[in-house]
Amino acid sequence: MTNYKIQDIEKSFDGKIIENLGNNDYVIKINDAEHKLKIITMNSNGIEFILNQQYHKAKYLEQSTNEMNIVIDNVPIVINLHTHFDKIVYKNSGGGTAGGVQKSLKSQIPGKVVSISVEHGDNVKKGDVICTLESMKMQVAVKAHKDGVVRNIKAKETGTVAKGDVIADIE
Amino acid sequence: MIEKVLIANRGEIALRVIRTCKALGIKTVAVYSDEDTNSMHVKQATEAYHIGEAAPAKSYLNQEKILDVMLSSGADSVHPGYGFLSENDDFASLCEKNKITFIGPTADSMNLCGDKMKCKAAMLKAEVPTVPGSPGLVKDADDAEKIANEIGYPVMLKSVYGGGGRGIRIVTNDKELRDGFESVTGESIAAVGKSAILVEKFLEKTRHIEYQFARDTQGNAVHIFERECSIQRRNQKLIEQTPSPVVDEETRARVGELVVNAAHAVNYTNLGTAEFLRADNGEFYFIEINARLQVEHPITEFVSGLDLVKLQLDIANGEPIPFKQSDLKMNGYAIECRINAEDTFMDFAPSTGPVPDVTIPAGPSVRCDTYLYPGCTVSPYYDSLMAKLVTWGQTFEESRTRMLSALNDFYIQGVETSIPLYKTILNSDEYKNGDLSTDFLKRYDMINRLTADLKTEKENKTDAALAAAIIHSEYFKSRIQNTTSHNSHWKDKLD
Repeated sequence: MTNYKIQDIEKSFDGKIIENLGNNDYVIKINDAEHKLKIITMNSNGIEFILNQQYHKAKYLEQSTNEMNIVIDNVPIVINLHTHFDKIVYKNSGGGTAGGVQKSLKSQIPGKVVSISVEHGDNVKKGDVICTLESMKMQVAVKAHKDGVVRNIKAKETGTVAKGDVIADIE
Repeated sequence: MIEKVLIANRGEIALRVIRTCKALGIKTVAVYSDEDTNSMHVKQATEAYHIGEAAPAKSYLNQEKILDVMLSSGADSVHPGYGFLSENDDFASLCEKNKITFIGPTADSMNLCGDKMKCKAAMLKAEVPTVPGSPGLVKDADDAEKIANEIGYPVMLKSVYGGGGRGIRIVTNDKELRDGFESVTGESIAAVGKSAILVEKFLEKTRHIEYQFARDTQGNAVHIFERECSIQRRNQKLIEQTPSPVVDEETRARVGELVVNAAHAVNYTNLGTAEFLRADNGEFYFIEINARLQVEHPITEFVSGLDLVKLQLDIANGEPIPFKQSDLKMNGYAIECRINAEDTFMDFAPSTGPVPDVTIPAGPSVRCDTYLYPGCTVSPYYDSLMAKLVTWGQTFEESRTRMLSALNDFYIQGVETSIPLYKTILNSDEYKNGDLSTDFLKRYDMINRLTADLKTEKENKTDAALAAAIIHSEYFKSRIQNTTSHNSHWKDKLD
């Protein structure tokens, strides 16, 4: 049994395949409800299926062991997966919402680095401007995602960053 | 006669112009930067010439380089599209000097339209109302106060050098005006070393309503109805529609006549747009003339039945406009949504990168002008407009529901888009009732309503998303364990 959590939705769900009826027909169970599912096509990039007589198309984007990015019928959704065993390991390693904020500040957009407003060792508060990027003729401020001390500034003035690149660490 | 057009632009507008030229049997010359080697306009044009590096200054704004291509390709005319060189009177004049037809107004007329003060003076002379305010720069705070009391508070103090919201103060009484005058002067001096201030009446809850017009070289002019473009962010239009819900036939004709006068007043040739602010009390005030084809021209095409690029070519050929004002009948309703690559939740910051997959909407009275194709890239060097999605309907409601359905069908993988925001707007009662204003997004808290809508959308997809996830994770489990026999068929299906 795997436990699923959809980002921005409070409820979590247990789900599994309970029966393979053959001919690509399955019965799956989500929490207490059983659903009929027929796979039309499937490969590692996506799936088309009929669930309770309704057609759906999903794409599987990035995925790690316990996070899936999918696009279901054009709606992007992030799903976190935990086998019950995972959950215990996760808790014991200090994960979860309490101390779980990442230290790396990443760029949400690609662009040219116009200026860097902080230096190594500066104390910053969440929301302080760390650097300014230029993309599509617009300047965009990258702000600190948490309080802390600036370490390892990776971005360089007049250089470029890609989406997801680390700008600096805030510890 | 125009036989070979160089298109000094890229993206969807280059494709738009190529499409009409192809239909008319006119040859096209595309130009492209390093960044656009693999772009659609390069593949669709009759010929394509490389003009430089990705940065616009080194390619699409490089007049000498483009002139070289015009001369070496044997193009007899140039279409500037919108943006880049489209409203650059130096470029228009460079074309004139080299006997290349610039598909747009003359350099002189363009220069007049681009000079706000001179253009305003020309409008006053032609009795086209402009926003009440100082006839020119104000001398000092005393002068500003005198004018403010004549036109009535609230007024706006505007530095002619400040742009993008800086150097502007809205003041409601004499004291605020004096304080504001000092700070605007200071800001302007700090920014550009000099200060020059205008006073203008501040209008609340305004609508942006503009008119398409055409004027030929013989001096015949017509207006081709209005477009309401009130839904904006940072003074940039997002959604446009025609007819405007607040323009009836009488108003359309009355303001339309002003538009024709405005076109005569600046000796305009070809297609242009006269922009107005409409105050909440129904008064129209001229703001400026856009001396080019507009992004939102397709909604006018839908309700007029015209191909506006063809009309541009006809006028550039020296032909008279082939119809009279009274021949034009407005048919139905049209809406355009500008599909931008931007993240609504990051204050509309650009979102760029590879687009592995795209689904372009289609259907009766659905038009999508776009440069997107599966595997293309949205470049950080250029404008964020990826597509113009336009729908028509016999009624407003039909055009609105068609747009919603087209937005639902539009899928762009890899970049954030403005599509979800448009769905929230088009579903809102305020939009349905035509209660539009240039501060629509803020006034009706659209961003927070979008957040709520996205959550509902996710909730509605919960079962399907979980089903897809369950199948996927069971498949991976089966790959890792690969033990039980009932899982073995996954392998057949997946490899």
